[in-house]
Amino acid sequence: MKDTPLSNCERDFLLKAIEEKKRLDGRQTYDYRKIKISFGTDYGCCFVDLGQTRVMAQVSCELVAPKENRPNEGIMFFNIELSPMASPGFEQGRQSELSVKLNRQLERCLRNSKCIDTESLCVVSGEKVWQIRVDVHTLNNDGNLMDAASIAAITALCHFRRPDVSTQGQEVTVYSPEERDPIPLSIYHMPISVSFAFFQQGTYLLVDPCEREERVMDGLLVIAMNKHREICSIQSSGGIMLLKEQVMRCSKIAGVKVSEITELISEALLNDRKARKAGGKCGFAESMPQDRITALKKDETPVEMTDVTETANGIIQKGEAAPQTVPSPVVPVPGVGQVGQGLQNSWGLEEDDEDDYEEEKNDNSGDEQVEEVTKMDVGEGGLLFIYLDSLM
Amino acid sequence: MAADMRLPTIRKTVSLSASAFDRKDLVVPGDVITSDTGFMRGHGTYVDDDKLTASVAGEVQRVDKLICVRPLKTRFNGEVGDVVVGRITEVQQKRWKVQTNSRLDSVLLLSSVNLPGGELRRRSAEDELTMREYLQEGDLISAEVQSVFLDGALSLHTRSLKYGKLGQGVLVQLSPSLIKRQKTHFHNLPCGASIILGNNGFVWLYPTPGQQEEEAGGFYTSLEPVSLLDREVISRLRNCLLALAAHKVLLYDTSVLYCYESSLQHQVKDLLKPEVMEEIVMLTQQKLLEQEG
Repeated sequence: MKDTPLSNCERDFLLKAIEEKKRLDGRQTYDYRKIKISFGTDYGCCFVDLGQTRVMAQVSCELVAPKENRPNEGIMFFNIELSPMASPGFEQGRQSELSVKLNRQLERCLRNSKCIDTESLCVVSGEKVWQIRVDVHTLNNDGNLMDAASIAAITALCHFRRPDVSTQGQEVTVYSPEERDPIPLSIYHMPISVSFAFFQQGTYLLVDPCEREERVMDGLLVIAMNKHREICSIQSSGGIMLLKEQVMRCSKIAGVKVSEITELISEALLNDRKARKAGGKCGFAESMPQDRITALKKDETPVEMTDVTETANGIIQKGEAAPQTVPSPVVPVPGVGQVGQGLQNSWGLEEDDEDDYEEEKNDNSGDEQVEEVTKMDVGEGGLLFIYLDSLM
Repeated sequence: MAADMRLPTIRKTVSLSASAFDRKDLVVPGDVITSDTGFMRGHGTYVDDDKLTASVAGEVQRVDKLICVRPLKTRFNGEVGDVVVGRITEVQQKRWKVQTNSRLDSVLLLSSVNLPGGELRRRSAEDELTMREYLQEGDLISAEVQSVFLDGALSLHTRSLKYGKLGQGVLVQLSPSLIKRQKTHFHNLPCGASIILGNNGFVWLYPTPGQQEEEAGGFYTSLEPVSLLDREVISRLRNCLLALAAHKVLLYDTSVLYCYESSLQHQVKDLLKPEVMEEIVMLTQQKLLEQEG
């Protein structure tokens, strides 16, 4: 199914807002959305929430024969699945351009950077090596799938434990998790990708574009870096021309963001390890209840509370008094009482003829209507005409 | 700027027209319609263990031996003669692709539009190249369904002066099953705005044009600033439409007008509150029942 097209006025609004340094969700230019990392019950299962964008990564391993030209290295296999669950525009099974792009970028980020020690994955040289498979499933697309996928993939790899093996000559024994504790992969560094969206031919840039911003962007720059400020991959798409200073500035920003995210990942891994050691319930079941509609717990929304009292007082003082609920009757003409005012145009009148138009249209206001009312008439506009015999 | 805050409350479902529901046979997917094997199955049904079962949520319609289920909420299934409001998604060779809230994008052929210079002009190669000057991606048009292709895609035409590119106004996207089929879908409401009730659920609200100058054949869009009064009327109408749609009231010019009149006692922005919506829709329902009965 195709995505609903963006209307012209929405596109213009977004671009104009970006020119005035305003984002739809109130973030600053270099702000990331709230990142939440949670783990499943299995080792190697990780959920990442980047705002509303949600992805899940699962790492699994298998003993296979190695590649011929690399007999003593393990194999890494990456796969990003764009499921229709994430967005109506994604089709199941169809290799769209975006899916090819994401797959290539993830491979370059993780495989070419040599973040995993593949030689430690070798069991019997030339015959049996571990094949580590990372599957990333997109659960909800609200922009910036690349960053979410890279965070999920590297966190899942850090979280993963492979079964212990021992070799006696040609015999290989794989121990189950009950027999021997599974061992983690040896990871040298954690490359994380940071996306920069460019607008108006490279004049304005935003970090971590949301889905609407992605639709109106001109180009995208993805920098994958680790916390030691080593660039693992850098890719620019969209055909925009970037200046040298812009790329340098982006890489500096990426360095800062990556170190923050790496800290977050380490903290999440530490918490998970503590929870597992304590034997408490951890994983999928625990992280789910927050999203249920019937649950009382909800995510906190940050609200500016610094000067609430003063602002509220100011509003109350400057605001007009609330309209009377029971307006007192007015006697415009002897014999008729009028309760309430007819509706006035609250948007401000510019020309005099608008006044007349208003009178014609709203036939409940104005004194000239009074003579036509001969009985009690509750008209629209909250006007109540009472024929007061007693006043005559 | 003052903001409204409200605590979450349990919303009670108000069935506004209880009598109406008694007449209809509403089914949900999986409901058995009949166990009698003598009926032919139509759209929205399937046979499961010799029992005719519904596959969509809607009302059962029976015509002699044919049973079909008309879904309440569906994509727009166009028929010849329907008026639609759509958005151009692609400009292809000799045709435009229009998004009309149906399963497939509708097609607007170059030969089905009015070009300046008269209707009988032959389409030349230059016309193909200047297609983008007439209609671009993102433009809104009103058109009529000319025919339906075999795969269900609609072929549109704008071969009348009342159809064509839409200028300044407000688009409200609703479900197609809420729009009542009528003789005409273009109305100049007495409250001061005009409305196009597209059969595909897209409703277009625009200020009533002063004089009818349509020499350009539907491609002239006036960019004069719209007065604040007209804007207020259109905003109020839009909120009324949303209120009616939320309570599943059939939309046609009379119901929209009654709702507008019932809403005059509230401020435009208050019409988005659920309790105000309920109130004005109840008033509208009352008036409509009085009018019928």
